Amino acid sequence: MAKQISDKISELKAGVDWFYSDEFKLELASEKYKELTALAKEIQTDLAEMKNEINVIAEDFSKE
Amino acid sequence: MQNNETQVYSVSDFQAVCNQILETAFSGVVIEGEVASFKVNQGKFVFFDLKDDQSSVGCFMMKFAMRFPLEDGMRVRVRALPKLTNWGKFSLTVQAVTPVGEGSLKKSFELLKKKLTEEGLFAPAKKRALPPEIQKIGVISSTQAAGYADFCKILNERWGGLEVQVAHTQVQGMVAADQIIRALNYFNERGEVQVIAVIRGGGSADDLAVFNDEALVRAIAASKIPVITGIGHEVDESLCDLAADVVASTPSNAAQMLTRDRREVSRQINGDVLRVQNLFNSKIDEIVRENRRTIEQIRNDIVVKMTTAESEVDSLCKVLEQLNPEQVLRRGYALITGEQQIGNVVKITTIDKEIEAKIEKILERSENGKAN
Repeated sequence: MAKQISDKISELKAGVDWFYSDEFKLELASEKYKELTALAKEIQTDLAEMKNEINVIAEDFSKE
Repeated sequence: MQNNETQVYSVSDFQAVCNQILETAFSGVVIEGEVASFKVNQGKFVFFDLKDDQSSVGCFMMKFAMRFPLEDGMRVRVRALPKLTNWGKFSLTVQAVTPVGEGSLKKSFELLKKKLTEEGLFAPAKKRALPPEIQKIGVISSTQAAGYADFCKILNERWGGLEVQVAHTQVQGMVAADQIIRALNYFNERGEVQVIAVIRGGGSADDLAVFNDEALVRAIAASKIPVITGIGHEVDESLCDLAADVVASTPSNAAQMLTRDRREVSRQINGDVLRVQNLFNSKIDEIVRENRRTIEQIRNDIVVKMTTAESEVDSLCKVLEQLNPEQVLRRGYALITGEQQIGNVVKITTIDKEIEAKIEKILERSENGKAN
């Protein structure tokens, strides 16, 4: 199942936080940065393309 | 019946035929007038006269059907069935009644607001926050209304991926409240949406009167699913707004409150990536600077160590120089080599000569340097 955009945004945030955390390691940073920029690009595409699904219910509410 | 004969009815038949004619001719007739002689009998039967300058007609209705508080002098619109009673009295059996005109609407609003406030229906403690991650929204509105179009436009502009179920109802008029209540029940029974938005664009006080309907206000307050209202313009306040969990000033504002702004999220993501890039670069710069500092420190340490070593070598050289026998000879001393026994020839070396000498006498020296 494709990830929800909110999950992707959370993943991006966690990735950004890693750079500010004590777990930061320079030898891993380049790879992490590449992953984050790719994820950010993916989110930007999702943001631009995502559409709402608006459906009018068939039920007739004028009937008692 | 023969053409040349006059129809003769029994009283009951005549009354029944009259009612048939009235029902056919005035089914669901709507009449506007002023309330007079309003009274409630036994807590459930409501009687009042509906009048204008010249005429008056008696009205009857059940208390539970009365959705707005009434008082003598209020101007109202009733939907009613005209009826000739068994006692020959003409009256209107009222199915629905709504106040009309600014004064009556305001009076009715204040009376109902007071009553429901005292019941605690609008208590802040009852309000629920909107869910943090909204995916499924139930909308109650007229799909032909401008307010609904505004709501959808803003919703689509700001965010996507939402599942929106729309219950199309009337949003003004005497039947609107019941339709909206049925839509509220529909969403609550299914429990598929996380929030219900009741949407209606601007209009006159009469147009918006439905949102002060007591049964509708109670249905909103009782909804298991949080309700947001976006009714009318910013200046409009309805009792439905007071009963809702969250109030938006307009339909557009409701859409804003239900969604994040994709442009804002996009800006934040760009900002995050830029911040990380700057942080990454600054960390690299910091490490490069640290390495330079370390190299510089090592270089300094080496220089110090070399200087120290050079100094030590110099000292040692000086000591060595002092120990050089040539230095002793330069100070005027002489070096004797060979076995020192009487009769032996020894070699005496001075700074500028080498002398061979024969030993004739040997005296022992004491510690004080005197010969014995």
